[in-house]
Amino acid sequence: MLPQVLASGLSAGSIYALMALALVITYKTTEVPNFAQGDMAMVSAFIAYMFLTDFETGFILAFGAALVFAFLLGVGFEGLVLRRMRNPTHLNLIIMTLGFSLALFGLAGWKWGADQRQFPFPVSASEVVRLGGVSVSTLSVTTILIAGVLMVVVFAFFRFTKLGIAMQATQQDPIAARINGVPTRAVVGLTFGISSVIGSVAALLTAPLITLDPTLMWDALLKGFAAAVLGGLNTPVGAVLGGYLLGVIENLFGAYISVEFKSVVAFLIIVIVLWFRPSGLFGRHHERKV
Amino acid sequence: MAVFVIVGLGMNVLVGDTGQISLGHAGFLAIGAYTTVLLMTRLGMPFPFALPIAGCVSALFGFLLGLPALRLAGPYLAIATLGFGLAITQIIARSALFGGHMGLVVPDATLGPFSLSGDVSKYYLIVGVAVVLALGVRNLSVTRVGRAFRAIRDNEIAAATMGVDVAYYKTLSFAVSAALTGVAGGLLALMTGFISPGVFTFTLSLMFLAMVVFGGLGSIPGAILGSIVMGYLNLEMDAFQELPVLGRALEDFSERFMSTVGLPNFGWVVTGMLIVFTILLEPQGLYGLWIRALKAIKRSKSADANSSLPGPGAN
Amino acid sequence: MTFFAVDGLTMRFGGLTALDNVSFEVDRGMIFSIIGPNGSGKSTAFNCISGIYQPTAGEIHFEGERISGLAPHLIGRRGIARTFQNIELFGTESTIDNLMLGRHQHMKSGLWSGVAMLGSASSAAREEIENRERVEWILELLDLVRVRDRPVGELPYGTQKRVELARALAMEPKLLLVDEPSAGMNADERAEVGVRMRELRGELDMTILLIEHHVQLAIGLADRVLALNFGKPIACGAPEEIRQHPEVIKAYLGDG
Repeated sequence: MLPQVLASGLSAGSIYALMALALVITYKTTEVPNFAQGDMAMVSAFIAYMFLTDFETGFILAFGAALVFAFLLGVGFEGLVLRRMRNPTHLNLIIMTLGFSLALFGLAGWKWGADQRQFPFPVSASEVVRLGGVSVSTLSVTTILIAGVLMVVVFAFFRFTKLGIAMQATQQDPIAARINGVPTRAVVGLTFGISSVIGSVAALLTAPLITLDPTLMWDALLKGFAAAVLGGLNTPVGAVLGGYLLGVIENLFGAYISVEFKSVVAFLIIVIVLWFRPSGLFGRHHERKV
Repeated sequence: MAVFVIVGLGMNVLVGDTGQISLGHAGFLAIGAYTTVLLMTRLGMPFPFALPIAGCVSALFGFLLGLPALRLAGPYLAIATLGFGLAITQIIARSALFGGHMGLVVPDATLGPFSLSGDVSKYYLIVGVAVVLALGVRNLSVTRVGRAFRAIRDNEIAAATMGVDVAYYKTLSFAVSAALTGVAGGLLALMTGFISPGVFTFTLSLMFLAMVVFGGLGSIPGAILGSIVMGYLNLEMDAFQELPVLGRALEDFSERFMSTVGLPNFGWVVTGMLIVFTILLEPQGLYGLWIRALKAIKRSKSADANSSLPGPGAN
Repeated sequence: MTFFAVDGLTMRFGGLTALDNVSFEVDRGMIFSIIGPNGSGKSTAFNCISGIYQPTAGEIHFEGERISGLAPHLIGRRGIARTFQNIELFGTESTIDNLMLGRHQHMKSGLWSGVAMLGSASSAAREEIENRERVEWILELLDLVRVRDRPVGELPYGTQKRVELARALAMEPKLLLVDEPSAGMNADERAEVGVRMRELRGELDMTILLIEHHVQLAIGLADRVLALNFGKPIACGAPEEIRQHPEVIKAYLGDG
């Protein structure tokens, strides 16, 4: 029983980690807590669905379309809306992203209705594979692998490529970055695009597991935020670790204590952690100077 | 809809005046509703007693949520309140005491000798309560407590050095806001006759936020107006196709590009877009538009008066 | 009993020592000035005194009572008011409402009396009117009557600085902390500041603790001066002594 629970914990945790990573990437660069991340990802999953069912294309084209759409949506949202805000206080940014999220949710519901749909996926949710004497669902394994690979790619991108380093520079000190020739505006737009793509991958991995409907990513968004907040909103590594931790704890709780209140655990964890460390486990709080 | 106005008043105290954020106010609505119903069904308490007690219970939860809020700001606070709202709904949905997913039926209510089973009497009661609460909130905002709330919003540190006990007032703000929303919840139960966890969703909390943002954060008339507009929008969601001119157009559009069964979701699209455009174009919402209109009128009047001199403060 | 005493005040932020063993005493009715180049810890000292920072070490006593370690609002209620170097007004509120915040600790209306304010006879209403009348003289003293009802965010910088001062005075403090009152001003405006400080001390019997970057103004106004550099006290005494003190001159002009 335990290995299965751990496997599903890691699998769920992968999704949370991806969402957390997406959120932290944008927050670190722009101080925007992107509450729309979940619904942005959800819409891209629907785009893939549309390609698969209406246009009857293959998986690669459909998923590719979803990722491209996600990228454009992220860049567009940042460039056309966020950048033009006149008074980007924390409160306003939160409200703005929530509004965008609501509009996307409405659009998805309008176009595709609230019906729950089966999401076609190359890997089945019900098949199992035997690893070291334990039966684990192939979907779990696929999720863990893909998420893991993606995260490694993202981290490598930030560390080793010129663009990634430019993005880090913009995160740490936008003015210094600009003085040094970094095109900060393009970088910020790109940041949103990339994090939107990460969120999209999370949605594409979530959809086959639970059915596809407009509320697809709500749970993952909350848990992703919880994980990001656990680690501290400005540490990508902390966020990812927080995601895996949350997934495992949640599933352990669900298996051994109560499956009913599984989701409440996330909330409790957030409140407890934040009570003792208001900026997350590893985050740094900057005080305003008076 | 007057129920939403009361929630709007509550949201305005917390978000508009004190500058905090809550994404979980549907939780307080639920607490108010369920407390009222349970007091009436389990303890046989008459509605006029159950309602204020429900408000107090809700205030207590508001205070409890306010405690962690003392140490949290921005997105951290938003997440904590979001989690609160979801937790409340989940606990209610899974517990037999609250009727689980099936919900609870609201018994008939009486107000002294008056029966409250007719729609008309319910309406008058709700509007009456709304008016009284609006007066109370307005009074509060022009006195010491209201000023303290706004000081915390504008400059917490300076407020503290001026003798304002920030911790006390922040939790007080949460409690007052929760109390108002809880009372609205009890009234909602009365009005609809049936409550279930499916009503108290995260999107409802979002709508509450939208109401005060759209109306104008910090303005009581703004909050009232914003609540009426958004409330109307929310209530009419199942009947968009019946709108005079727009209805047909929406139906056709839905048939060709979207889905007709999903048309009610158009309400969310509009709500969301209203938030986006409000923040983008007039962050002070309807109230801000009103102020701008007044200024424009004043300017054109003084322009008439001295047409050759440019006014000194004119912008 | 010393009116106001700072003893061994030390403030460390991680590896940075912003204040290092600072001690001084202020007598009632004195104008005491703290000078020092930028970054010498002057505002940090104020923040420790008003309770915004908890000192790493050292104690602060006011009228015989220990105030170091108290929350800011308790220190405010003991009768210590301050202004800020970067203006920290309540931007959306009007001038008069900013001053009324200063009356917060002297008023009583709470949740229930506020809500139940029906008509001008109620206790909350009477309190409002009383206190508004009480602060009228401050508006006159600082020439703010014209901007009484304007949101302070719209006012020019110099006026905002006067509102900051007015707001602190509305608290009817016993000790007034003024943080760089002449920042951003020209020579005439600075002279006005000097006059105003003397007025406050003379007519209102106010004790003033003054941070002033402009050495001439500080020396001209103060009864005693403390000079800081890199958080350390380098000289404390009568203004003339300080003006000629070699360490002070070095701190401002730099070595060599």
